[in-house]
Amino acid sequence: MFEKKDLLIIVPFLIIAAGIFAWFNLRSSAGGIAVVEKSGVEICRIDLSKQTKTEILDIGGDMHIKLKVEPGAISFYHSDCPDQICVRTGKLTKPGQTAVCVPGKVSVRIIQRSGEKKYDGYTGWHQ
Amino acid sequence: MNRRKTVAIVLFAILILILAALIAIWTHFGQREKRYECTNYAMGTYIQQTVYGKKAQEAAKEAAVKIQELENLISWRKNDSDIGRLNQVAGTKPAVIHEKTAALLRTSLEIAQKSNGAYDPTILPISDLWGFESDNPCVPDSKDIQKFLPDVNYKDLQVSTGSSGSTALLKRAMMGIDLGGIGKGAACDEAVAAYRTAGAECGIISAGGSSLGLFGTKADGTPWKIAIRDPNSSDNSVTEMAELNLDSGFVSTSGVYEKKFTQNGITYHHLLNPKTGYPENNGLVSVTVVTPNGALSDGLSTACFVLGLEKGEALLKQYQCEGVFIDRARNVYVTAGLKSRLKIINSKYVIKS
Repeated sequence: MFEKKDLLIIVPFLIIAAGIFAWFNLRSSAGGIAVVEKSGVEICRIDLSKQTKTEILDIGGDMHIKLKVEPGAISFYHSDCPDQICVRTGKLTKPGQTAVCVPGKVSVRIIQRSGEKKYDGYTGWHQ
Repeated sequence: MNRRKTVAIVLFAILILILAALIAIWTHFGQREKRYECTNYAMGTYIQQTVYGKKAQEAAKEAAVKIQELENLISWRKNDSDIGRLNQVAGTKPAVIHEKTAALLRTSLEIAQKSNGAYDPTILPISDLWGFESDNPCVPDSKDIQKFLPDVNYKDLQVSTGSSGSTALLKRAMMGIDLGGIGKGAACDEAVAAYRTAGAECGIISAGGSSLGLFGTKADGTPWKIAIRDPNSSDNSVTEMAELNLDSGFVSTSGVYEKKFTQNGITYHHLLNPKTGYPENNGLVSVTVVTPNGALSDGLSTACFVLGLEKGEALLKQYQCEGVFIDRARNVYVTAGLKSRLKIINSKYVIKS
């Protein structure tokens, strides 16, 4: 039924099909999305893999929080809070990582774009 | 080549392409539809929920409401809460408390008894001195510790329930309740109960990153995969040292890296021994406990940390609960029931039992 010539038509299509899968999968592993929340309400999402320059994001609030957004990373840059736990948390780069300013009620967490999460939960990550 | 055959092959190939795209889109978005994530602040900490199912959003919102209600009952920082009122009338008369508060106080008393006071809900006079929750924690004067230590004694807390409701009594005026060692776990209990009532398929709640509640079975049937923090990893790059694969239940971890401060080159952590009034220093750096009840997991992790490895393991046995103990030398001791469920990720850690 099939001849060699037919492969010339079928193979390119199979490659395109494989390409679609690869694209979806690669997208999911190419870094995460930072979700910024204030008092539990999402205020923005930042695609860290698409971030090309370093920016300071002014969140404000009681603790005058500023976030530093860099290519592939996000961190608390400034907070007036006394404990400074949020600032000391440092850069978040991987899905699942979270930094929280409890006094300022601002949180930043990295979520995976899609696909499987590495862990469902983390114990001992005190906030 | 036959023209009709070419057309047929091209059509067939397009069909495969469409199928591939559909499958990709379905796997990409299919699961997300039924997932609801939210965060809020309660119990002086950060609450993170991920709930699955058609009723996910409803369930998570209900859980947040229930946790807030619990906080209004048991927070010792709120003067008008049950515990706030109980602390104010300490040494004079019993305080009328909600049945939920009474149940939690009873759980805390039971853990205190079985651990012989290694966990003590009446730690407030001492925990206040250290001020781990405050802006300026510092090492208290040893005279102050000696002065307040006699007022830390769970035996002088009485909880009674009669036909007219529940009351609690603190026998001496300087006494006070601090439910910090059990509250986050209790919040997980509230959330899991709310998921069940609301009809969520499954869900996970994290209270302050130290207590977790796992409800139901995941859609793909695999166990919940829980990462345990590497106690030696620094605050600004926390990593995991092992993973636990659990079907359900509650997980709590007590570790020396939690609320801590350094004074004159010595680092003090918040896990106070109620007998000495000082942070417990027995070689353990973290204890993780897995139980069927949240408040219990939280209280037991504190108790086991203070008790140390041997007595801690014995306490878990009494409760038929499981745990993972980690000491300063990166030795890991795991109870029998968790052995097949624990996988070490950081090879610097070695399982010893």
